[in-house]
Amino acid sequence: MKKSLLKTKQLSKSFSNGGTLQHVLKNIDLELYEGDFTVIMGASGAGKSTLLYALSGMDTPSLGTITFGDRVISDLNSDGLAVFRREHCGFVFQQIYLIDGMSVMDNVMAAGLLVSKDRKGIRNRAKELFEAVGLGPETWRKFPTQISGGEAQRAGIVRALINNPRILFADEPTGALNSKTGLEVLNTLTKFNEQGQSVVMVTHDMRSARRGSRILYLKDGVILGECRLGPYVSKDAARHDKLSAFLAEMGW
Amino acid sequence: MRKSILLAKANLRRAKGQAAAIIGLMLFASLMLNLWLMLATDYKQNFVRCHEKLNGEHVTLVLNREPKEAAAGLSGFLEQDSRMSDYSLEDALNMVGSFAFHDGEVNSELVFLEKEKAFSRRIGQIELVEEVEKDAAKGIYLPILYKSEDIALGKEIEITIGNGKRTYQVCGFFNSVMAGSHNCGLCAVVLTKDCYQELAEAGDVPKATLVSVRLTRAEDSEPFETELNTEASARFPDARMNSNSYALVSQSRYISQMVCSGIISAAAFFVLLVALAVIASNIMNYIQENMKNLGALKALGYTSRQLVGSLLLQFLGLTLLAALAGIGMSYCLFPKVNRMMVSQTGIPYEVHFLFWPLLCTLLISLGAVGLAVWLASRKIRRIEAITALRQGMGTHNFKKNHLPLDKTRTPLLWALALKNTCSNLKQNLTISITMLMISLVVVFSGVMIENIIMDMTPFVEMIVGETADSCINIRAEAEEDFLRAMEQEERVEKVYLYHSLKLRHPGGAELMATFCGDFSKVNNQSLCVEGRFPKYDNEVAIAAKYAKEKGLMVGDEMTLAAEGKEARYLISGYTQTSNNLGKDCLLTREGYERLGKPDQYSYYLNLRPEVGIDTFNEEIGKEFAGKANAVLNIRAIVEGSAFVYVSLMKMIVAAVLCLSLIIIALVLYLLVRILLAHKKQEYGILKALGFTTGQLVLQTAAGFLPAVAASSAVGIFVCAWVINPLTSLFLRGIGIVKCTFTVPAGFLAAAGAGMTAVSFLLVCLLSLRIRKIAPCRLLMGEG
Repeated sequence: MKKSLLKTKQLSKSFSNGGTLQHVLKNIDLELYEGDFTVIMGASGAGKSTLLYALSGMDTPSLGTITFGDRVISDLNSDGLAVFRREHCGFVFQQIYLIDGMSVMDNVMAAGLLVSKDRKGIRNRAKELFEAVGLGPETWRKFPTQISGGEAQRAGIVRALINNPRILFADEPTGALNSKTGLEVLNTLTKFNEQGQSVVMVTHDMRSARRGSRILYLKDGVILGECRLGPYVSKDAARHDKLSAFLAEMGW
Repeated sequence: MRKSILLAKANLRRAKGQAAAIIGLMLFASLMLNLWLMLATDYKQNFVRCHEKLNGEHVTLVLNREPKEAAAGLSGFLEQDSRMSDYSLEDALNMVGSFAFHDGEVNSELVFLEKEKAFSRRIGQIELVEEVEKDAAKGIYLPILYKSEDIALGKEIEITIGNGKRTYQVCGFFNSVMAGSHNCGLCAVVLTKDCYQELAEAGDVPKATLVSVRLTRAEDSEPFETELNTEASARFPDARMNSNSYALVSQSRYISQMVCSGIISAAAFFVLLVALAVIASNIMNYIQENMKNLGALKALGYTSRQLVGSLLLQFLGLTLLAALAGIGMSYCLFPKVNRMMVSQTGIPYEVHFLFWPLLCTLLISLGAVGLAVWLASRKIRRIEAITALRQGMGTHNFKKNHLPLDKTRTPLLWALALKNTCSNLKQNLTISITMLMISLVVVFSGVMIENIIMDMTPFVEMIVGETADSCINIRAEAEEDFLRAMEQEERVEKVYLYHSLKLRHPGGAELMATFCGDFSKVNNQSLCVEGRFPKYDNEVAIAAKYAKEKGLMVGDEMTLAAEGKEARYLISGYTQTSNNLGKDCLLTREGYERLGKPDQYSYYLNLRPEVGIDTFNEEIGKEFAGKANAVLNIRAIVEGSAFVYVSLMKMIVAAVLCLSLIIIALVLYLLVRILLAHKKQEYGILKALGFTTGQLVLQTAAGFLPAVAASSAVGIFVCAWVINPLTSLFLRGIGIVKCTFTVPAGFLAAAGAGMTAVSFLLVCLLSLRIRKIAPCRLLMGEG
């Protein structure tokens, strides 16, 4: 039995748009488990990113609750959410969002030093992670605009993992990359998931979605369906077919 | 042009807050520029206008002889001199008198005139400004300068004339250009017919003649005064006399105006400089942040000229608006400044519209802003459309990572703040310029508080020269008795001869000479700013300003003349006071006696701290009745005279400190806004990573801290070092060549720390906008 990590109850999110209320998420009940590679799929405007940011404490729900372990995070104020994010979450963004004015190593250290004062420990962890994602020391001292998109996204993954987060949230992590570098990033995420890292990824790309052990399909703010694929195995035709059938059923 | 206007409008719509802050800065700058120009140009001109309106004299002489006798002695000289255009000789009574004024006392050579004759003078007309009761039995009319809470219409005033006190009722106030203030050397007082008669008949106030001479050219007033004095001394060797000239009066009545306009001009240029730095920084940031847009506009066919033109239009439009508002506000403020100034000059001034200051203010403001915009926007000309579209111009300096986070031991927030500091040179430069300027204001304020407001002794010593508790003017024949009595007097700490009278420097001006028995006893040992006090009878210490004008050096010889005799003296040192606008000299007693022997001597006394000066003076006055010509409370006189300066300085210090605070706030507001706009995404990312608003606010404020603290420290240190030479440069016109104001190190250190702390808090407050940065919206592209 997998351990529950994050749970939502009647989660709703609405935005006011020119006086009219737009309901982006509608009464979502969801439970995420430790060690899972959860993929949230859906068409553009389905509410995928909104759900991701609500789950990660980046945004607050309009209604409903989000519970992390036995803590209700949906009641936290912005500072409480910031502390929650730094201690338990890691983020990989589509646009990467490394800070341009800081070197690659500084981008990682800035996130690490926010949680721990053990500079040496963080540096060593950073080096381990850099090695794990295939970035050599020559890259660490460079600035984000001096490295390729794939390198930058892998540095982004190192930054996301520096504090050993309970969940790694990835919002279209390959969206801004070419297919080769996108694949490298997916391999990296898969590798960490295999080592026990829980991952929640938003994507509308089937190739990326195949990496997930659990696929949630979102449509008009509602989870329309769920497909369990199990741990990722490359060149698994049955896995591909199962996902294709699920998506076809969802109207993909 | 139309395209440029459209672009300028679009830019303005995008940066309303920045536009408001720039308007604020330019408004202050133009307000003060116009105020300064009005004070510097028209205010002094008011003296000339008033002098002409009242057919003012250029030289005034009060001679203790009746008009008939005076006419017989002086008419020939006056009528034969081609420089003279008109003159009059009038009845007067003349004696040194004193009365309470503000918290002190006024002591001046008083010239009493009879009302009917005074108000119908042909030369040096006296203009009635206010009148309450025409025929009061004990009526007196005073110069408008003395109108105050205690000296008001209908109130009684007690005047000490010689050794007696007389009480009068204030019936009115008048304006007299040449005799309307104790700063003129002699001060006219008008009495009603009965009062005048009574005073004349009392016999203790000598009858005198008021000689008023109008000259063809005002520039001749000083040499003419010297020659008239020489002639009068020769004709009436034992007569008491006193005189003034147009040159002396026109300057001494406007010292406060000069100081005030100097300070306002410095403040105006300071605000203007800060505004220009802010505008330039704004433009450079605009270019950097809008590189893509500018590239797109160039690609669409806009020329560099049109893009620069739009910036010029935008900033010149704002400046014009701000300058007009500032000029308008200066007219609202001018009446208040005018009241303040009139209380010192004593010459009424009517606020009116002045075209030239307005035009100059507009030209200076628009010219300076135009130049700053043109220089700051030069980069636009170098932008290639295609490079800009590709963001070809880097926005970061990647050359060096000054503070690698994996190596530094600096706490994270401070390390990030320092990174911000290192990467933002323009911000640092703007802050540094502002803080350096503010430091000058703070040091100036500190020095003024320490040396004028808290304890005015250093200021008074510099301006007046020598001060003591009491001054007793004793007749020559009673000198020995007086000195014996003072030796036995336990209340007296120190007594020394310090007598002033006028001497001539043949070929030069008339000098106020002070001779002293022993210069080691004088309280103000810094009176001699170079060389030393005279020691021997052939030595003289001369005013530095006068020496410079005449090319006299320490070690040179000069001739002095008095009472028909001449003697050569060796210049032993330079002195400074503003008493006679820098035309004075010091001699030993023996040195003066080579020219003549005075019939009276002034002794300065330092009393023990617990002794009441007035009580002591009263007792000495009684003890030496008939032997002492005058017994003066110098402290009270100095306090009375310095009141105007102290109150003026209080207002100036309060105003410049408030202004500095506003400037700091405006500059920081602009910089923080630019920074937040520039780093909005970075803050969003940091928030997403788990940084709280508080941490980011602190980090932002700490990023400003190094530049603020360093520039404040350097600014205060440098300004503290240059403040005395700088002040003396300002006061050179009134004879001050070396300021020795105490620089309050403790206050300045505290002020520096305060400036830094205030800036830190202000940035914290201003960067609370970070609260509004929502990481998810930014990351979802809604930023």
